[in-house]
Amino acid sequence: MTPDALLHLVNEITGATTADSFGTPTVDLAVDAWLTSAAALRDDPRTDMDYFDWLSAYDDGDAGLAVVARVWSVALRHGSVLRARVSRDGGALPSLTGVWAGAAWHERETHEMFGIEFEGHPDLAPLLLSEGFNGHPLRKEFGLASRAAKEWPGAKEPGESVAGRKRPLGLPSGDRWGTT
Amino acid sequence: MGHDVTLPERSRGVIALREESCTSCMVCARECPDWCIYIDSHKETEPATAEGARPRTRHVLDRFAIDYALCMYCGICIEVCPWDALFWSPEYDHPSTDVLGLTHERDTLGVWMRSVPSRPTQTG
Repeated sequence: MTPDALLHLVNEITGATTADSFGTPTVDLAVDAWLTSAAALRDDPRTDMDYFDWLSAYDDGDAGLAVVARVWSVALRHGSVLRARVSRDGGALPSLTGVWAGAAWHERETHEMFGIEFEGHPDLAPLLLSEGFNGHPLRKEFGLASRAAKEWPGAKEPGESVAGRKRPLGLPSGDRWGTT
Repeated sequence: MGHDVTLPERSRGVIALREESCTSCMVCARECPDWCIYIDSHKETEPATAEGARPRTRHVLDRFAIDYALCMYCGICIEVCPWDALFWSPEYDHPSTDVLGLTHERDTLGVWMRSVPSRPTQTG
């Protein structure tokens, strides 16, 4: 199947906006369509996406948190990316564990790293972080202690050996780390 | 530590420095996502060489070090260097039992230039 044909097929099955992302159809699903669309892509013989590859999220600033999952058809050798946006505060998504059991660990990690609830997940215990860890490290408002503790080597000007006033790009501004 | 291993010449083992090409411009240190490149330099003024000419200021490198305990071997420093002073070398045998021993200064970075392939790969 050509990438274009797969894109139209994923769009037809889910009824949701589907865009090409480097040859992979990326479908933007509403929260209440998350489970049904995932199951439909798995069960429809034309897509046959029986293999759960991974699930994670990214912090999309004012647009909220985006949960992303990639699924794949072992037999047909094609895949799709599913995406759903949830609120920064108390954002929740139905758990995919009933569709692909292998999603359990990925949802545990995404839960601790972003603070997203996965409703119906059997046990959202921390996977990587220690018990009682405060905060969600992959959110943009989470301050990087190592960045605050270390002097930026790029602050020096050419021909100087003492730090100038230049500040690193891509890091929060302001006096306090972790504020934007 | 010596291993009898044959590697492709363009293996990305370590980052080497051609010191004479470096102008201490700080671009690599500023682009490095890991903050693992340390550069110190000072200015020197060279007297005018011809009548009517002005004295010239140039930057002299005092320290160039890469902390391989932090480096993630992404190669961004090599990509962004405007002066072609940084190169991939296939040498990989640079471990240490001490975390401070993984910061390699310009002398070591310069020695690794010996194994840098001479020309870029021709691509279609």
